[in-house]
Amino acid sequence: MAQASPWLRSARGPMILAMLPALLLVAALIYFTAWAITYSFTNLELTGPNSLNWKWIGFDNYVRLFTRQGFLGSLWVTVIFTFFSAIVGQSFFGFVLASTLRRLHGWRRVSVEVAIMLGWLLPDIVAAFLWQATASDIGFINTLIIQPLGFPAYNFVANHALAVVIIANVWKGTAWSYLLFSAALDSISREILEAARVDGATGLQRVWLVILPIIRSHIATNMLFITIWTFTYFPLIYALTGGGPGSQTEVLSIFMYHQSFGVGKLGYGSAISLAMVMIVGVLSVFYLRQLKEPK
Amino acid sequence: MLKRHLMAAAAATAILAGAAAPVLADMSIEYNESFATLVENGVKNYEAANPGQKVNLIKLPSDGYQDRVALDLSSGSAPDLIMVDSFLVAEYAGTNYLLPLDDMLKGWDQFQYYSKGLLDVASYNGKVYALPTDTDVRMLWYNRADFAKAGLPDPWTPKTWDDVLAAAQKLKDAGVPDGWLIPAGKKAEEAATMQGFYMAMLGAGAPAGDTNRLRVRDQDKWIGDSPAIRKTLQLYHDVYVDKKVGLAADTDLDFAPTNKAFLDGKIGIMASGSWENSCLWDCNGVNVPSQADRDKIVAWAPWPGNGEPGNKANTNISGGWTIAISAKAPDPANAFKVLTAIFDKKNFLDWTVAGHRMAVRTDIATDPAYTADPFLAKATELAKDTTGRDTVPGYAKVSALVQQMTAEILDGKSVDDVVKEYNAALVDEFGADKVVTIK
Repeated sequence: MAQASPWLRSARGPMILAMLPALLLVAALIYFTAWAITYSFTNLELTGPNSLNWKWIGFDNYVRLFTRQGFLGSLWVTVIFTFFSAIVGQSFFGFVLASTLRRLHGWRRVSVEVAIMLGWLLPDIVAAFLWQATASDIGFINTLIIQPLGFPAYNFVANHALAVVIIANVWKGTAWSYLLFSAALDSISREILEAARVDGATGLQRVWLVILPIIRSHIATNMLFITIWTFTYFPLIYALTGGGPGSQTEVLSIFMYHQSFGVGKLGYGSAISLAMVMIVGVLSVFYLRQLKEPK
Repeated sequence: MLKRHLMAAAAATAILAGAAAPVLADMSIEYNESFATLVENGVKNYEAANPGQKVNLIKLPSDGYQDRVALDLSSGSAPDLIMVDSFLVAEYAGTNYLLPLDDMLKGWDQFQYYSKGLLDVASYNGKVYALPTDTDVRMLWYNRADFAKAGLPDPWTPKTWDDVLAAAQKLKDAGVPDGWLIPAGKKAEEAATMQGFYMAMLGAGAPAGDTNRLRVRDQDKWIGDSPAIRKTLQLYHDVYVDKKVGLAADTDLDFAPTNKAFLDGKIGIMASGSWENSCLWDCNGVNVPSQADRDKIVAWAPWPGNGEPGNKANTNISGGWTIAISAKAPDPANAFKVLTAIFDKKNFLDWTVAGHRMAVRTDIATDPAYTADPFLAKATELAKDTTGRDTVPGYAKVSALVQQMTAEILDGKSVDDVVKEYNAALVDEFGADKVVTIK
């Protein structure tokens, strides 16, 4: 181990003091995670006999993830939700907006940016209410467009619940990708793009062969963040549909909530949450590898 | 259904604001907003009679209420008094969350008026753990304008499930978006079990013993599979999947203002209970139109059986709410004083009559103000042949699994798959020796 500098050695007291918050945070993290892991091997419940006389049941909760209905179905809903709202929706629109708005200046750019940011800044509950007011059978789309054109009212939330929450989440989350990609595009030097132009690269080729490789690590960072957020996202969906109708929009976080607090199976809920951690962990490793500069 | 999350957010803000105010609350009570006037007026009387005492009011929306109470009780942060749906009393008492009240009840002169049978739902192992607020009966409410539009008879007395399905089809053909709402799915919570599933199952074929229940009571076993469960799920399948006379979104989405949709004629028939006589407008009886005006808009019919020979003509099951004292209440004697102030005859009678609730006490049931209510007289007829839930610890889990079954039907899964899954989940929960299949 390298010799600590004399300055560090003399300031050991204050250093330990300064580390305290970090240590507390790590301790709390380990404490809660340890509880979740412990619970996941028990049949502990919120109320009733199994809350008092719980038992160790080994890997039963984990086996049930695959042998009982619910988990795999919710996993599929979560994959669809994450893929379309985060990976396709937010990333794609964020990039398109960032690249097109670069040429725009003054009030036009400001007003578009404010519109994008507004979705991001609004609390999830308010956003859920807005989307309900937009897409329900008595909402804006129906009263302003569909009914004046002579068609009967159509309840988008009821009939296409998953599509509505995906669109709502794209609307809500695109701002983050937009900001990140804007910064990334600003970092590309003008000379490189002009050189590509002089060499005869078309617009699409400049994006595909020059811009995307340069901002590759930004794309990976963006993917890392929004995948983790979206995979474990709860409030907007819960407030808008509560996971229904049936289990059409029951993503894993809502499934876990229902099992833990609706049915009251804390052990099973813990197993679900650990499975989510593992899935997100694997995805994160994949993205982190993409972050490394190609050799 | 209410806008649950907005209400929850508003409630949370109110609690935070209340906590910030420099008032030292001596006690607190957590209650469902549908019972606001009963609790709040009772607390006011208690505070007036006990100067210097303050009771903190924690009013919560109906939707999600159960989850919140269960969490508060299990985390040890529950207030002194808690309003509990009667089906959870045994569950919570069995987990030692509630205080047995027998000793204190002996010293209360009004306790003698409680009907013994109705105290059963608030008891566990022979001890009383809560006092019931009301009881209820369940029926099929229908929108009379919709019935006129669809050319259906009114008064309506369906004899079989097919009669109701046929009426729902006619309503749909006449342009009513949702012909028949049977509560289903997880967001309807206990309503899916009681107002829908159990009401249908009790009439799903001629009963032999407990074959039309969730539990064989004298064997202490849950029923994992039975013809009655399958027939009931098939009814849900008919309504929501095969015949599509019902709209899943009305019962299983948030932001589904069911009562308004029903009054507006967007729902033709709604399976619900006696409380709707005021709750369709306001559960606390505030700004509710006169009975004559209400009767012009809606009417109700008893739930028929499925029409098989030997079956009951009509079915019914009763529930109701209660108020209990937390086992951790630091001052049980004063908490009990609050409880008796809430259930003091004058306050209890006023609330019962204003909200057209079904009385749980003989002194209220025989009061002229109560007996003069024509709606209650009719509803009480239904209560003559009623039953209760399987209120033993574990019922809450079973009920949640029943709600899950109905949600899976909404997803279009087959009855067979859904029952198999339910049976497996029951075995997970209680062990194979506590689950029985009825052929």
